Amino acid sequence: MNKNHKSFWTKYIFSKDHKVIGKQFLWLGIFFLLFGGFQAMLIRWSLSNTMEPLPWWLFGNILYQNSPVGAGIIGPDAYNQLFTMHGTIMIFWAITPLLIGAFGNFCIPLQIGAPDMVFPKLNMISFWVMFLASITLLASYLLPQGTAASGWTSYPPLSTPVGGIPGQGQTLWTLSLTLAGISTLMGAINYITTIVRLRAPGMGYFKMPLTTWGLFLTSILNAVFVPIIAAGLIILLLDNVAGTQFLIAGQKATIPGGDPLLYQHVFWIFGHPEVYILILPAWGVVSDLLSVFSRKPAFGYKVTVICMSTIAALSGIVWGHHMYTTGMSPLLGKAFMFLTLIISIPSSIFFLNWLGTLWRGSLKFEVPMLFAMSVMWVFGLGGLTGLYNATITSDIYLHDTYFVVGHFHYTMAASVMFGAFAAVYFWFPKMFGRKMNKKLGKIHFWFSFIPLNLVFFNMMVMGYAGHHRRIFNPSEYEFLKPVLGLNDFMTTAAFILGIAQVIFVINFVFSLFKGQKSERNPWEAATLEWTIDTPIPHGNFTEVPTIYHGPHEYGNPLLKDKDWISQSEPFPL
Amino acid sequence: MNQVKKINNFFFSGIWFLDPPKDVSVDGWRIDNVIQYIDVVIMIYFGIVALAMLYFIIKYHARPGHKAIYDRGDTKKHVGITLGMGLLVFLSIDVVIEGLSFRDLNEAFWNFPKGDNVVRIEVMPQQFAWNFRYAGNDNTFGTEDDLIPSQNIMHIPVNKPVVIQIASYDVIHSFYLPNFRIKIDATPGMINTMWFQATETGTFEIACAEFCGNSHYRMKGYLTVESEEDYNNWLQSLDEEGPVDELWGDEDEGIPIRWGWAWKKEAI
Repeated sequence: MNKNHKSFWTKYIFSKDHKVIGKQFLWLGIFFLLFGGFQAMLIRWSLSNTMEPLPWWLFGNILYQNSPVGAGIIGPDAYNQLFTMHGTIMIFWAITPLLIGAFGNFCIPLQIGAPDMVFPKLNMISFWVMFLASITLLASYLLPQGTAASGWTSYPPLSTPVGGIPGQGQTLWTLSLTLAGISTLMGAINYITTIVRLRAPGMGYFKMPLTTWGLFLTSILNAVFVPIIAAGLIILLLDNVAGTQFLIAGQKATIPGGDPLLYQHVFWIFGHPEVYILILPAWGVVSDLLSVFSRKPAFGYKVTVICMSTIAALSGIVWGHHMYTTGMSPLLGKAFMFLTLIISIPSSIFFLNWLGTLWRGSLKFEVPMLFAMSVMWVFGLGGLTGLYNATITSDIYLHDTYFVVGHFHYTMAASVMFGAFAAVYFWFPKMFGRKMNKKLGKIHFWFSFIPLNLVFFNMMVMGYAGHHRRIFNPSEYEFLKPVLGLNDFMTTAAFILGIAQVIFVINFVFSLFKGQKSERNPWEAATLEWTIDTPIPHGNFTEVPTIYHGPHEYGNPLLKDKDWISQSEPFPL
Repeated sequence: MNQVKKINNFFFSGIWFLDPPKDVSVDGWRIDNVIQYIDVVIMIYFGIVALAMLYFIIKYHARPGHKAIYDRGDTKKHVGITLGMGLLVFLSIDVVIEGLSFRDLNEAFWNFPKGDNVVRIEVMPQQFAWNFRYAGNDNTFGTEDDLIPSQNIMHIPVNKPVVIQIASYDVIHSFYLPNFRIKIDATPGMINTMWFQATETGTFEIACAEFCGNSHYRMKGYLTVESEEDYNNWLQSLDEEGPVDELWGDEDEGIPIRWGWAWKKEAI
């Protein structure tokens, strides 16, 4: 490492420092979070004001000026593009870079006592491949016929040339997702190798903070399952550009064709673990934060780790529950239902451990703690409502309705996003040396938490009332008439949720420049990253730390003058 | 059967403050029942969690003089209790809904009716309409005397089991009857089978549940449930003045002449 010759380019742009790369992923993630969130606002507007021109405050005089249904109006094609890109961006460009890219990069080496990632150059390439993927994805907005419009799942044959969606948006979508997959894979290899090879002396696997555990398991899942979706994307790409028929069948494919179901299997073999890929880091962060802000050790640390690992392992063999209505064999259907329901055992055990951490603690309701506790709430709801979808009979009715939409927004959007917010508020002082404003943070929390529940819970209510998904104009149906009133209410709540994120951005930018200077360890946390002065130099630790105990030594009665002790500090005799 | 339904409704009316569309099928109550059971257990378990959180917030919030009790939660007793609770969740929720669901699948949804009393219909959705086909007098599909109603129009007799077989013409669609609580995907290149039975006459909507493109949102059909007599008259009228079965032609190129296929034996 030549630490001396650093230009602006090698220090901030093509940096090999894991902390800088983590921040780069953070910028990327926040940009796309806002971008995808804005699309959600347009979707909500269109749902309750179908075929009406956008108001000025949704940029109605700039957007959709060439819309075939009238200037400034979202038509069905534009609506389909919106929800497709909203899903794609939120999952692969907002949540993934935030939790895995940003905090994976930032936390893993610091928390295990390593100087950097094991492959710094690969780490840099990982970000720039992701950047290329982002450019590719954004380029599809410049196409005359717009972006991909076949849903974030992009089921063929709809996503192939016989699907009747014009333009090359789907091709760019497939290409950019393949690139994002390559980036993720590079990151995963790096994280796994770093955790296996670079732990500081004394840092056994069962002494790692749960954040690192979550990221470790996520990386393993990524390394195993991303290649599978990559294969699926590549055959989809070939069907789109090379005239192959891997995934096209039926009467329109007049020569004997492929199998559209093949894609669904490949997609969900990856797609179900993807849920856990996203949520495992959030679980880890929440487990650690609950312990920090309850001032006592994480309850049943080892059991939590084992449960998280079990869930990660099970996630790979339950994908069929996304496909109950495809006419799958009864034996398979029942097997998938059984396997899916088994997940509830480890889930409820580690959920109980979260409650156990709070039990008899001394709870400090700092902003990260509020977000961590809200993850318990939204994940509790999201997890339990999964029961309806795991059960074959109720899923026959609820599949492809808003119930599913509400359920996965609770598990993926709400749990993971709140986990990411908790992480941002928690590690901001270590990343930038300043604290985020607490008052604005609390406003952000309450104006996110309440409207979010109003939107996502009502999505499930709508689904229970029969409202199917991806419907541009719900007033087409007689049986949906009772549901329509709810749409306006949800739209209002969604806009409040959207505006709350503006508060977050203001707080973030303000604190970056003007925030209160933070001491080394503002939360009195015991993990290794808080033992280093901010800003952390390239290479992290001045001397390699030795680890004496687990990550959650809070309130130990052996301690006299303070209620915590860092992992690298031996107990006073 | 209906007694079970009534008891359950009396016991609990659901946590979703909107009602699902009116159930007009013989077996829809099974789905409503399993949903209601999950409603109850979710209420109980999530209620406990919410109350516990609230209690902890009030009782254990940081304040001068209050200290956390150091507790790793890794003693045999603690681990045993959490494991026991996990198992309790599994037994009280998962095992029960699995039992209910498997029973219903075996007794109803996957137990296809047999015999002469059964109405058989073939469905082929396309972007963005529903095509239906009745076998006609010879009871064989794909022949000249098949009856084809106008697009998006389906009739069935009341109180008689109806079996449909479905395959898609272009992209994946999903045949969704909200009033019957069922749906089945229509995939190009494969034939799926589903059955249901109506208990009331009337006209109900058919929706496409799987996103299929630009006009997915208005890919709507109408299912008319009528008395056996009206149904037979309707079939008769199709025979006389119904739309013509459009021929696709050219068996040499591997394209069947008509879209109807030989009825696939219900396999389950």
